[in-house]
Amino acid sequence: MSAHHIIPLKTLLSTTFALVVLTVVTVAVFYLNIPAPFDVVVALLLASFKATLVAMFFMGLYYDEKFNTVVLVFSLLFFLVFVGITLLDTNFRDAGINVWIP
Amino acid sequence: MAQAQSLENAHVQHHFRSSDQQFSSSKLGMWLFLFTEVMFFGGLFVAYIIYRAWNPELFTMAATELSTVLGGINTVVLIGSSLTCALAIRAAQTNNQKMIVNYLLVTIVLATVFLVIKYFEYTAKFEVGILPGGMYTFEGIDHPKASVFFSIYYMMTGLHGIHVIIGIGLMIWLVVKARAGAYSSAYYTPVEITGLYWHLVDIIWIFLFPLMYLID
Repeated sequence: MSAHHIIPLKTLLSTTFALVVLTVVTVAVFYLNIPAPFDVVVALLLASFKATLVAMFFMGLYYDEKFNTVVLVFSLLFFLVFVGITLLDTNFRDAGINVWIP
Repeated sequence: MAQAQSLENAHVQHHFRSSDQQFSSSKLGMWLFLFTEVMFFGGLFVAYIIYRAWNPELFTMAATELSTVLGGINTVVLIGSSLTCALAIRAAQTNNQKMIVNYLLVTIVLATVFLVIKYFEYTAKFEVGILPGGMYTFEGIDHPKASVFFSIYYMMTGLHGIHVIIGIGLMIWLVVKARAGAYSSAYYTPVEITGLYWHLVDIIWIFLFPLMYLID
């Protein structure tokens, strides 16, 4: 039964090692002062890679029934729809509408 | 043999065909819950994206108030707690009752370390008047909407912190049950499912750390 797969100790430890190294890389990249918007792009790519490692090896999706992966991927797709449609509004407003006094 | 078989499957509810089917269904249910969690935090990430798109210079200025060192330490602490949580599940799968409890306790300790660091971060901000919303009185950031960044910061890290507290509560419950010998390779669904929740909390922080602390 794939759902009961015992993840090898070596896999868990190397995943942790990779995550710590990638965290150090994330901080190092920050101090490189890459010009915007590429700093955000690099930071998000690194974070996404780390999240993928966690999902595959800590949450066991790599060994699990594929439908659980489908659920996670769809949650991300719906999040992107949420972001995309909202930005279609907020990024294209007339200056008059966007005036906001705190 | 028949007796052992029935004891082995004592946890199976009558509406499931087998222990495996019950286990898979529980996991799918948890993944559906995590879907709603992605959308829950997603709303706050959308707020972050909109306000950053509107005020890019504010986010650059305000993020310098956050400690990269403390944020980085907390990232590593949470990664470590994810490892020990995964090891607790592994202990259950290999019938190592004692180590289930020990790994869960280490996870609880690491989660508490995360919260203690967060407490020091918050109180240091409160003292200089960096408070959410209308209570904001800090004058160190020369931007008319300076409070907006910190309102988003407190909402996102605060909601994340509440998830950490709930995670600690769940793991204390698991420790109590594990001490009583409730989990083995035949049945460890609550450990597995709490693990999924805990790893999601870790993933959320993996995104929060660069987005909040590392803006130059």
